[in-house]
Amino acid sequence: MDDLVSRALDLAEVQGAGYADIRIVRTTQERISVRSGVVDTLSSDESLGFGVRVLVNGCWGFASSHDITSKEIDRVTALAVNIAKASSALSKGAVNLGPPVTSRGTYTTPIEEDPFTISTDHKLALLMDADQRMASVKGVRSRQGNMVFIKEEKTFANSEGAYVEQTVYEAGGGISANAVGNNEIQRRSYPQSMGRQQGCAGWEYITAMDLPGNAERVATEAVALLTADPCPSNIVTDIIIGSAQLALQIHESCGHAIELDRVLGAEAAYAGTSFLTTDKLNNFRYASDVVNITADSLRVPGLGSFGWDDEGVPSQSTPIVTNGDFVGYLMSRETASGLGLASNGCVRAASWNRIPMIRMTNVSIEPGTWKLDDLIADTDDGIFLEMNRSWSIDDRRYNFQFGTEVGYEIKKGKLGRLLRNTTYTGITPEFWNSCDAVCDADHWTMWGTPNCGKGQPGQIGHTGHGAAPARFRNVRVGVL
Amino acid sequence: MIGQERCEAVLSQTLNQPNIKEADAYLSVQDLNVTRFASNNIHQNVSHSNAQLHIRVVVGKRQGRATTNDLSDGGIQKAAKLAHQNALLMPEDPDFNGLPSPDAPPQVSTHDLDTASYNPDSRAQVVASVCGIAADGGLAASGFFRNGTQESSVMSTKGAKAYHAGTFAGLLVMAISDTSAGWSKGGSWRVEDIDSDALAAEAVDKALRGQNPQLVEPGEYTVVLDPYAVDDMLSSLSLYGMGALAVQEGRSWMNGLIGEQAMSPLISIWDDGADMEGWPVPFDAEGVPRQRTQLIQDGVVLEPVHNSYTAGKDGKLSTGHQYGFTGPPVASNLFMRSGDSALEKMIASTQRGLYITRFHYTRLVHNRNCVMTGMTRDGTFLIEDGQISHPVKDLRFTQSYVEALADVEAVGSQSKLMLNEVRFATKVPALKIGRFNFTGVTV
Repeated sequence: MDDLVSRALDLAEVQGAGYADIRIVRTTQERISVRSGVVDTLSSDESLGFGVRVLVNGCWGFASSHDITSKEIDRVTALAVNIAKASSALSKGAVNLGPPVTSRGTYTTPIEEDPFTISTDHKLALLMDADQRMASVKGVRSRQGNMVFIKEEKTFANSEGAYVEQTVYEAGGGISANAVGNNEIQRRSYPQSMGRQQGCAGWEYITAMDLPGNAERVATEAVALLTADPCPSNIVTDIIIGSAQLALQIHESCGHAIELDRVLGAEAAYAGTSFLTTDKLNNFRYASDVVNITADSLRVPGLGSFGWDDEGVPSQSTPIVTNGDFVGYLMSRETASGLGLASNGCVRAASWNRIPMIRMTNVSIEPGTWKLDDLIADTDDGIFLEMNRSWSIDDRRYNFQFGTEVGYEIKKGKLGRLLRNTTYTGITPEFWNSCDAVCDADHWTMWGTPNCGKGQPGQIGHTGHGAAPARFRNVRVGVL
Repeated sequence: MIGQERCEAVLSQTLNQPNIKEADAYLSVQDLNVTRFASNNIHQNVSHSNAQLHIRVVVGKRQGRATTNDLSDGGIQKAAKLAHQNALLMPEDPDFNGLPSPDAPPQVSTHDLDTASYNPDSRAQVVASVCGIAADGGLAASGFFRNGTQESSVMSTKGAKAYHAGTFAGLLVMAISDTSAGWSKGGSWRVEDIDSDALAAEAVDKALRGQNPQLVEPGEYTVVLDPYAVDDMLSSLSLYGMGALAVQEGRSWMNGLIGEQAMSPLISIWDDGADMEGWPVPFDAEGVPRQRTQLIQDGVVLEPVHNSYTAGKDGKLSTGHQYGFTGPPVASNLFMRSGDSALEKMIASTQRGLYITRFHYTRLVHNRNCVMTGMTRDGTFLIEDGQISHPVKDLRFTQSYVEALADVEAVGSQSKLMLNEVRFATKVPALKIGRFNFTGVTV
């Protein structure tokens, strides 16, 4: 492998690259899915390939291949250089990477049990147990359960002397139940919606979820939602957002908004730009005093945890919002240097065949001081909302609308009737400035979003978001 | 691209691995090149090639799977062994009726040498021309130009044998001013079909006309939708309910509407995997020929698309819509019947409404009637007394797409091909819809 790495970097330099890097990545994956009592998928997947990125006259080129041979290294490296030269036809040629990156070392996700050593029988038995418990609830129309295990072995090296080897493990699992009736379709999920909860972790992550232990509750709640009262329509009220839903709120309204490449227009034609323009850095009230948001790649099992990013920059922690003030971005070497800063290590590619770009690491709201019971007791009139069902935000990350699987009315400090089809909407800075309470570390969970889309061609990134329940005042609810 | 002979050799070798008596294998080989630009500058420029071999081994009523991109003897052997082991580990599925025994699919040729060989310099020239048009208008252009090849081949021990090679090319242009943006998109299996200057001019025109948008209040409006917005409607209807699995599980918008006049008689929608007017792949991942499937006929909801598994459960034949190696059946080469109305006529016939270029970040809010939310984007204008009066700030909608299509007043006479992902395309006209519900507005 070292020979191939050196070959690519040396060849790039000979052909005129001022900078080059190479990633060689092997991804091993196991997917198990159970659907209404039947094992829907049992698949073992492997992907191996390399990608070469070069700067020639200050312009980027990238090429990749699944065929790891000397001959293919030569072809792909030459192609990357040619692509970079072609870019110079319409490029300012002004990419500045800032100070050199010379990291060296190895990293492996700290896990207790390698999930690939656990027997398939055991994994299937756990999912089938959960499935059968969901099936025991009358009124459930369909059930799903799944697990995913990923092992990514990656070598990164650059022409500045960096050479790092990493093995990143991920484990994910989840269940959901769908109920149909009363001219309604309702779903409840556990631990997280959109398929599963996922983290940089081993088998212990799955056993801690206790999927079978939560299965009957999930199914019962799905059925109960069929006949629950609908969310009040078009009212303004106080809401307490549960930890799982708040994670997605952070992802959409903060995480994407602070990607500096997006701010600078790199994603304009796809998901858009950001209202957090560079003049707002250290000069904008993003949220209220009680809101502190951090981006880090250190906190396992967050899906944004690693040793070095895909530019060889070490993992680290960056304050993003401090007591409500906007103070930080997610950056790459190139974008950081434009602000006179050094990269904070937020660059990853979803695969060997994709260009590295800024992705969220673990973007989290820090715990506050409240106990959830006390927060509910302190709320005179409101709605508690949990578990995402739908999400949408505009192209500058201002206007958003979310739906949750479940809501509970709060009246005079007590949780009351179950509500279905709950939705809420707002404008990002107004919304976050209405936050007046965040629950404490006892209620804080690191959630995983394994389905974040960005880039053209598209890349599905894995991001982490720590969150505790929080209260927001005077929010518009009931858009449906 | 590795060619038909090599594809079939890999598949043959896969099916002849030790211990494999019943199996199918699907090989997907893609070369993809994308020149991406922002602010009139090429900022990302990439090329990749990959080959993915998917193997399904069947033992009785059990199916085990594996995927690899290592096409060496050792790689194929390892993956086949894993798939076989997985099959032995599965419990039996009483609803699994074995692999299909499909007929040979039609031969569809959509491989264009010029498109396959379009090189980085050629792409850069197109992008430079697009950005030049934007700059002449005082605007910044963002977007991408892409080209590539996609080979799909399937073989099975039940006689499935199919191969298709297609090229693709696409251009997306967003022209941006300080207060507005315009957008256009074109795609085809032939690069010569893409008029990049016209697409650039279209985006520039929208951006220039969209400057200094004014606020309008949310509420119900008559809307005239560009094909870009209609593409989203059709893609969403496919994603959220045109497949049989969703219907069988009761979570499709089609549930309760099959056989019903749920949409305007002006609306007819079908899927045809062999139609050269789309981006055809004439067979699915099981090698079953993709049947032309009428989904909506004159507003009446007909049947969903099937793979062999869902078809078996319903006592039907597969319509050949197993899109990926795993996952549900998907309608992915979709057509909406065009009408007789020019866009200008739709606008001229509107007392008060909105002319919308496209929708952004649309997501399902509720399965029943496919209630969606999303934003307008990149060219939204108020229509008053039959004329475009001024641009407006983008609005959020929360609207059932089914109910919207029940309220269609006019269908455009020109259809446009939208190549979204490789192997997912729609060809759609503009639409005028009587009532569309907007629930918010951006700042």
